[in-house]
Amino acid sequence: MTFARGVLLLGMAVATVLTFVLPPAKGFREPDLARIIFFHLPCAFMTSGLVFLAAWQGIQVLRTRSPQLDVRHAATVELGALFGALTMATGILFSKVQWGTWWQSDPRQTSFLMVLLILAVGLILRAAIGDERRRAAVSASYSVAALVPAIYLIFVYPRLPHITKESFHPSNTIAQGGFDSAYRLGLISVFAMLVGLAVLLYRMRVRVGQLELQWEVTNGNVDDFGHGAADSRLVRPVSVRPERGP
Amino acid sequence: MNPSWAVFRKELRTESRARNGFFTAGMFSVLAVVAIGLSSFGQRPSESLAAGMLSVTLLFSAVVALPRTFLVEEEQGTFSLLRLMASPEAIFTGKALYNFFQMMLTSVVLGVLFSGLVGRPVEVAWLYGLGLGVQAASLSSAMSLCSAMVMGASNRWILAGAMAGALLLPQIALGVGLFRVCFGEGSLVGGIQCLVGLAGYAVALGGLGPVLAGAVWRSE
Repeated sequence: MTFARGVLLLGMAVATVLTFVLPPAKGFREPDLARIIFFHLPCAFMTSGLVFLAAWQGIQVLRTRSPQLDVRHAATVELGALFGALTMATGILFSKVQWGTWWQSDPRQTSFLMVLLILAVGLILRAAIGDERRRAAVSASYSVAALVPAIYLIFVYPRLPHITKESFHPSNTIAQGGFDSAYRLGLISVFAMLVGLAVLLYRMRVRVGQLELQWEVTNGNVDDFGHGAADSRLVRPVSVRPERGP
Repeated sequence: MNPSWAVFRKELRTESRARNGFFTAGMFSVLAVVAIGLSSFGQRPSESLAAGMLSVTLLFSAVVALPRTFLVEEEQGTFSLLRLMASPEAIFTGKALYNFFQMMLTSVVLGVLFSGLVGRPVEVAWLYGLGLGVQAASLSSAMSLCSAMVMGASNRWILAGAMAGALLLPQIALGVGLFRVCFGEGSLVGGIQCLVGLAGYAVALGGLGPVLAGAVWRSE
């Protein structure tokens, strides 16, 4: 595991250096500053992939009712929100350097903000429900239902004719060969490193979740904060104030 | 009798006795349209702006009125009794049908008032009527699903609105595209595409609703 982390760290360093030494892409107002795409585009791909993975895991949670699977599902939802936030942040930086404003109200920018809001509501929903079984079922159902608007916002809406006409988003630059093979190599390298980083974070989050589950199995009977009622035979010491007389 | 139909009739009967759900939604719609009319006094909002205002007013009317059918059962402690009478899927379908019925009435009232008070005449009346109907179906299916999911959560009324707001963001975009054409901007083909998109959205969420609500309620 330590060796794998070392390789990942080295790979990330190499990929980051590569993004700075490659020649700039054509067709941008500030070609040198357009290098932020090396991180923006893979983050967007990761978010889309994690939204689909969360929906798939949601179906599995609803089928099996397994707490272990719910831990995995929660990790995927959190990672999806993290990569969504990174996509948004890098997109806003790109907007500032290429279009001159932090927020352009571009349809692509707005549609991705909607995706991010959908992911954020998933996190809020998990936090709002105390009972584990119900939280798992509701969160899984939400991930499945959220796939409908996510597919529309990620794949359909940005490709509508009037949106592609109005949008400043450089999808056309990419489609018209603005990226040469070296640039594509940089993109693939960063994407591979981000996948490695996501796997590492996912495993760590799942491990934490499993430890929490173990702790609840061991100590569940003495915990009454929304994790089931305490065993009725258990007597706990309580502090009782002496009543004051009149 | 079909259990879904029985639940629908039960909701209708409850509403006919108390009348608070429809009147709340109706009053909200009237107030929203009057407020919009007041704020745009002496001006004629553009087609896109009018379409946006109508879509947002419809959304908030749904968010205010529709969760009540689900959440009131839990607050009154009658949900467990209802579960004994019918399957989760039948309960959800009956309540979602009632929500659709209520939202249809609200949409008709709101649509007529909006076209009369806001000073933007409807150019394509048939598309406007169909659009209001499909919007009502889409809003009621999404709101029913969200309300069913948040039963038992803390801050469930606000949470239902937040969830539905997130799930309905594409629906608002499609609604604006559709009503813009009804008010005379853009091509009819584009409006029909938006109508089909909205119908697809309503069918997708309406089909998922009973399955997901059943899965959540069975987890208790």
